[in-house]
Amino acid sequence: MESCGKETRPKDSSGERIILIGNPNVGKSVIFNYLTGKYVTVSNYPGTTVEVATGAMFTKGKKFQVVDTPGINSLIPTSEDEKVTRDILLQGPPAHLVQVIDAKNLRRGLLISLQLLEMGVPFVVVLNMWDEAKSRGIDINLRKLSEHLGMPVLKAVATRRKGLEKIKENLQPHVTSFPAITYPEAIEDGVSRILSFLPEPPISKRSLALMLLTGDESLAEWLHQNLPEEEISRIEKIRHEVQTRFRDPIGYLINQARLRKVDEILSRVKTSPEETPRTFSASLGNLAIHPFWGIPILLFILFLTYQFVGVFGAQISVDFLEETLFGEWLLPPLTGLIHRFIPIPILQELLVGPYGILTMALTYAIAIVLPIVGCFFIIFGLMEDSGYLPRLAVMSNKIFKRIGLNGKAVLPMVLGLGCDTMATMTTRILDTEKDRTIVTLLLALGVPCSAQLGVILGMFSGLPIFYLLAWIFLIALILLMVGYLAARLLPGEGSDFILELPPLRVPKISNIVVKTLARIEWYLKEAVPLFILGTLFLFILHQTKALALLEQISTPLIVHFLGLPAKATEAFIIGFLRRDYGAAGLFMLAREGLLDPRQILVSLVTITLFIPCIAQFFMMIKERGLKKTLWISAVIFPIAFGAGGLLNFLLRFLGL
Amino acid sequence: MRWGGGREIEEERIDEILELIWTLRERGITDLDQLLEEGKDLEAKSILRVMIRDDLFDVEDNRVILKERGEEKAREIIRRHRLTERLLSEIFELSEEVVEQEACKLEHILSPGVTESVCTFLGHPPTCIHGKPIPRGECCAKFKKEMKPLVIPLEELGLGEEGRIVFITPRSHQRLDRLSALGIVPGSILRMHQRNPSYVLQIGETTLALDGEVVRDIYVKKVKD
Repeated sequence: MESCGKETRPKDSSGERIILIGNPNVGKSVIFNYLTGKYVTVSNYPGTTVEVATGAMFTKGKKFQVVDTPGINSLIPTSEDEKVTRDILLQGPPAHLVQVIDAKNLRRGLLISLQLLEMGVPFVVVLNMWDEAKSRGIDINLRKLSEHLGMPVLKAVATRRKGLEKIKENLQPHVTSFPAITYPEAIEDGVSRILSFLPEPPISKRSLALMLLTGDESLAEWLHQNLPEEEISRIEKIRHEVQTRFRDPIGYLINQARLRKVDEILSRVKTSPEETPRTFSASLGNLAIHPFWGIPILLFILFLTYQFVGVFGAQISVDFLEETLFGEWLLPPLTGLIHRFIPIPILQELLVGPYGILTMALTYAIAIVLPIVGCFFIIFGLMEDSGYLPRLAVMSNKIFKRIGLNGKAVLPMVLGLGCDTMATMTTRILDTEKDRTIVTLLLALGVPCSAQLGVILGMFSGLPIFYLLAWIFLIALILLMVGYLAARLLPGEGSDFILELPPLRVPKISNIVVKTLARIEWYLKEAVPLFILGTLFLFILHQTKALALLEQISTPLIVHFLGLPAKATEAFIIGFLRRDYGAAGLFMLAREGLLDPRQILVSLVTITLFIPCIAQFFMMIKERGLKKTLWISAVIFPIAFGAGGLLNFLLRFLGL
Repeated sequence: MRWGGGREIEEERIDEILELIWTLRERGITDLDQLLEEGKDLEAKSILRVMIRDDLFDVEDNRVILKERGEEKAREIIRRHRLTERLLSEIFELSEEVVEQEACKLEHILSPGVTESVCTFLGHPPTCIHGKPIPRGECCAKFKKEMKPLVIPLEELGLGEEGRIVFITPRSHQRLDRLSALGIVPGSILRMHQRNPSYVLQIGETTLALDGEVVRDIYVKKVKD
């Protein structure tokens, strides 16, 4: 019956689907990149992939559509990114499934394998990181495991492209029967009663009934589409009846039964040594989360970042690109050429005037922001691939607890230092909507993105270290205060801190290079058009004399309240498009000697807290909805200028 | 039939008096007159005679002294009463009045097996809701001897030590589901890696960082190395 239902489904026009599925951080994306030749970000921490990626693969003259999914620990989702993956399985048409397992963590992988077997869908098992398992003395009998599961099992080292070609040969087309796991009698009884209500699902009815018994709320949408109201309430009633028979939640009992089966299989296919040998990377990984040694390690990493991004990127590289490359080699001859060949003054102005596309937009984007962002992307890639980021979460959990979040929130927050737009999307790895809202707010309020951060570090590098520390302190203080208040004012519950720590690994240079280039490409595509747009906007304001008018209007705010020169208004206007562009405007003002140290600190605190860039704004609408986004923006504006103004008065009062 | 009924009532009265002797003794009173006064039972004297005949207690110098059988019977009834109090007030959250009323009824009818189950279910509580000691039963002694040094909260597991999970107290369903998806279920072996700034546990080849709150729900038995 089931196969009949499946066959009638229409075939996807873009070819049969191959879905990559598995626990977090097992290497699904690496395999995706290999199969499709595309690039999606690969890192060493759970939760890198939050959105489904698809790409084409050709083999044996056939076209396949490969789907990369966010990692899951169970097919009963507990977070939004897990739900995404489970929903893919619920959608037809039937697909080829590739389950990627970290060979070291076979137990957790098999927990998912059993659920897939229960669903009655065929799949190939790829035991990835075979080398790491081997170096730890773990031995897995592939043939026996394959017999137990009735599915092909392959070994692979994805980062070295070993064993991946075989995936293509083993896309198993047929379902083999698997001896079902028997659950406690009352659960089995509930399953058989629910079965009669269910429509023909794309997966086995039994597995669906089990999901329903656990009270999986994320299924509600699917149910309402496929079943009449009264039957849904009957299923709900059965669930309650079954639950009253046990003290523990049904989902937990089901998982326990599955794990028993997993352990039974493991005892037959896997041998591991009594004591795992201690490696240098394991010891270093432990030091990084040590209550004492973790702190100097953290400070050392921050220091290196500052040296590389703030000094090498923002000073040496910017000096060269802006003054030498643009200022001496490119702009003078170009200006000459333009003046000679384009005799129309307004076009000359548009290209090389004070608000010109070449002199302002491209100079800002390429000569100031790009070197800084590039440096940051490299450092950031190293942090991601080494596995340091989740360890940072361990170190900072207590701080985040204060503001009603937990250490897991450090991942989107640190990613925000790369790009707030991406980070806003990454809030999906958090478990409750409340957590996601608070982090979205904090990202929009005060987490400077790499471009902005780089420019800011560049501006502070010319001042005594006190100013940088004061800026860090103020921003952190405001984030903590706002987070603290938000945690109390927002309804809903916070979530538990349960985070997996991947092993510390030596980053692969090739991945860092590819990743950095992909991010730079993305930056150029994303930011440069907005920079040009902002410049055009300023150009028009300048030509129509509206700029002077705006500067006049905002004089009370900018000049009197914040104590900045009127020209700083421009920076805030373009800051509406991108905060880093605004910061770059301030950077230029400071270079021209128009800002004193107090003004630099005030303007930077204000621009850091300023409204998010347009891309982030749209991402916020997409992730949190329009209403919340408008609320967040309404909160941010007064905080940004209020904090800047207060700081200005305080500094003047102290006579600094 | 009347004889049987009468016998039951008599049993209950004996229970009540034994209970009274026990509680008075807790307050340091062993005086017979006091007992009669507190008892307010018109037939008390005749019952006391039956009790003395049954070798439950003796009177020396107007002082009541429980004999071995009486002592045992009294301890059991006090234990049943106080355990019931705890069960009704803590688990069923009944008002103190109802608790007292019901406990007085149940103390006569609970079988030894059920009493042990209640005691175990409540985690062998040492005192009743009024803070008076609950006499220990066999199950408590067993618990002390076998379980106590073995089952400990995960928090108390030493650094580098391994523990097999015995049970997880289900404070929230979602938490339990998430833990079980990571392989944390009774029977799994955990190694305590560190406690600060967050708990770090090793399960198989997986390293997990957790909150104290979550860790507090987990109880383990140390695995000998």
